[in-house]
Amino acid sequence: MTAAITIETYRMPSPSDARAEERALVVAAQRGESDAFAALVRQHQRRAYAVCRAIVLTHEDAEDAVQEGFLHAYKALDRFLPDQPFGAWLYRIMANASLDLVRRRKVRDADELPDTVPMPFRDPGESDELRRRLNHALTKLTDRQRSVIVLHDLEGFTHGEIGAMLGIPEGTARSDLHHARAALRRLLKDVRSDL
Amino acid sequence: MSDIRLYNSEDDEVVSGLRSLYAAPSGDGYWNELEARIMARVADVELGWWTELDRWIRPAIAAAAVLLLATGVAMYRAHQEEQNIAAESMLTAPAVPVSTAIRPTLQDDREARIRFLFGR
Repeated sequence: MTAAITIETYRMPSPSDARAEERALVVAAQRGESDAFAALVRQHQRRAYAVCRAIVLTHEDAEDAVQEGFLHAYKALDRFLPDQPFGAWLYRIMANASLDLVRRRKVRDADELPDTVPMPFRDPGESDELRRRLNHALTKLTDRQRSVIVLHDLEGFTHGEIGAMLGIPEGTARSDLHHARAALRRLLKDVRSDL
Repeated sequence: MSDIRLYNSEDDEVVSGLRSLYAAPSGDGYWNELEARIMARVADVELGWWTELDRWIRPAIAAAAVLLLATGVAMYRAHQEEQNIAAESMLTAPAVPVSTAIRPTLQDDREARIRFLFGR
């Protein structure tokens, strides 16, 4: 009996419970309760980081984009309709913050370092040959192809979600993914035979 | 999600390579610190012009109330003074007879024209 009560008490919240809880947090945050907004940050910051990291080139830029994104979200919170999925809305803001940051970096790099090619990925170990080559192969993709393949194949977003985040049609996201995969296959073909 | 993944089981190494390239920091300490940084920036936003306005609202209301009170007192005093002057002028006899006092005002051109018309 005790065990049954324990199981009943500690059961995982259902998706609808989680949605209702999130909605309550959003409404409270809209009323200006900063604790509620902090709870939303806590819930979403890892996924938000993953979205930003897929778009920007470095961990540091992803951190900046996450902070910018949450700030934008906070300022725009009163325009958000609580019945909509908060995550989808937030990740679109994160993607926009990341794309803005990428654009700013490009302008800055074009102004300041015209002859240098930036090392796009942080790779502290660099001991693994496959990782090194993979890193190199990813630099051969366009920014958008790289974002699409990471958001889709690593983070599990659908073509539609990626399209909404990056501001491109779903079909374009699909075709970017196709081309990114083909390019990666081609670039990594001899890596496997070398290893 | 009907999308087909790029890598099959033979490419686990590639997938793990990709995952390590894009891995998010795993320690809770990192996320707590990031949350604190985000909330600190949010607090800065809260201290923006809304908060500034909010801070000035009470002194502004007090100043407006004082101003309103002073205006009211001044208007009341002016009104009282007007009434006093009116009362005094009613009680004080005029220095010259009424007809003498009025006559000069009847000597203008307009009055002369009226007299001329009615006198004919």
